[in-house]
Amino acid sequence: MFSLIKAEQMKLKRSPIWLAFLIMPVIPAFLGTLNYVANIEILQSEWYSLWTQHTLFTDYFFLPIMIGIYCSYIMRQEENNRNWNKVLTMPVSKNNIFIVKLICTSFMILISEIWIAILFILSGKIVGISSAIPINKLIVWCLFGTLGGIVMASIQLMLSLFIKSFALPIALALAGGLSGLVFLAKNLGHIWPYSLMAYGMNSNAPQELVKTGYLSFVIICFVYILIFMLISSTILNKRDI
Amino acid sequence: MNLLKCEYLKTRRRYIFITALAITAFAGIWAFYGNYSGDIKDFVIQNGYLLFLYQFPLMNAIFFPLLCIIIASRLCDIEHKGKNLKLICTLTEKSKIFDAKLIYGISIVIFCVILLWCATLIFGKIIGFAGKIPINLYLLYLLFTIIPTTAIYVFQYSLSMIFQNQAISFFVGILGEFIGLFSMFLPQFPLFRKSMLWGYYGALQFVGLFGYTKETRYDAAYMEVMDIDWTAFIVLIVAMTVIYIIGKKIFCKKEL
Repeated sequence: MFSLIKAEQMKLKRSPIWLAFLIMPVIPAFLGTLNYVANIEILQSEWYSLWTQHTLFTDYFFLPIMIGIYCSYIMRQEENNRNWNKVLTMPVSKNNIFIVKLICTSFMILISEIWIAILFILSGKIVGISSAIPINKLIVWCLFGTLGGIVMASIQLMLSLFIKSFALPIALALAGGLSGLVFLAKNLGHIWPYSLMAYGMNSNAPQELVKTGYLSFVIICFVYILIFMLISSTILNKRDI
Repeated sequence: MNLLKCEYLKTRRRYIFITALAITAFAGIWAFYGNYSGDIKDFVIQNGYLLFLYQFPLMNAIFFPLLCIIIASRLCDIEHKGKNLKLICTLTEKSKIFDAKLIYGISIVIFCVILLWCATLIFGKIIGFAGKIPINLYLLYLLFTIIPTTAIYVFQYSLSMIFQNQAISFFVGILGEFIGLFSMFLPQFPLFRKSMLWGYYGALQFVGLFGYTKETRYDAAYMEVMDIDWTAFIVLIVAMTVIYIIGKKIFCKKEL
């Protein structure tokens, strides 16, 4: 498994794709903070208001698209030059090939979440929020956001496995992200795979920390990841790539 | 015309047109889904047409840049795959290929913009908004949607033609869209909006909602047509032309 991860890392070496995950959260951090300062008389919940400003658009529009692009890119490396033929004839489990790609994507999502948290704290300090940082909640938001993001990544990897186009799965990622907003509005955010990241990060109501409970959230996420992994592994095992 | 026909033949069965229509349909559902009853019913019925002109630039800033990214990427990816450019550039001039592909892509994108525009008018009639359709304002709105969308398309198309790795054009486009979307919420920084292509949906918005407060809501609210920023419009056209010239030049000089 470790050698497969190393191989995957080698394929991504010198690819500037990781840079986008670092640059992207800077935009909501800067502009969200600007908006927070401009509307400080309305946004009175300090850290919580700032968190909403930082993560609202990120969770519904941009992180799903970024995850979509990353997954499409990872799968495209195998599509190019008929690389699947070489990968699938290697003496390794086909299931592991998918799992390793999911691990690499999950790592990028985790890095993004940590970076979002760092920028959030820095922004709060710069604008002079005096109350204590809700550090425990912040850790939970980021970890649950990562878990929800992994669910999204597993769907996107599966879609990119199905659809050979680079762009189409990304369009579906946007549709998914927007559908996530609808499902959250209908109070079904805890069961819809594309809502789980925004739901875990509590981006639209940060005070209400995962209403349905931590355990059920984690179970739902793992069930979804397992389902999409199984479907993808079946595709890899049965389908002629 | 021959080159355009070639483009059509190359994109047959690649679902490019269906993808564009699907994104437009999604944008339409997103735009038209809303509360047209209850305590805001009167306000919406009385000001519906102007309200759409106020709300829709935001929706355009989300969906149309993405449509541009996807269509440009799909059209250019056909050539990058299998090094197709090496073949077709020996048959005809590079600049002609660049232009033909650009026109083909722009016509798909503009068709989608017009389709959504027509749907907006029809939807307004179905809901029964009061008064006649302010057709002059709607034509201006159409112009102010088509030009930023075309400018973004030219930019995305140039990136997709220059870079084989489509992830680059996607990331640049998404980052731009993200900044543009945020700029819509920062009207106090007009220069910021005008500093990038994606901000022009907001910069060219000419209908405003005034008098709305959290307490009184729509009781004292009213819609008003504001001054049009023609300077921004001209700047955008100049920027689009410059991007086109630079993009074409880089593509023509680039080793395939």
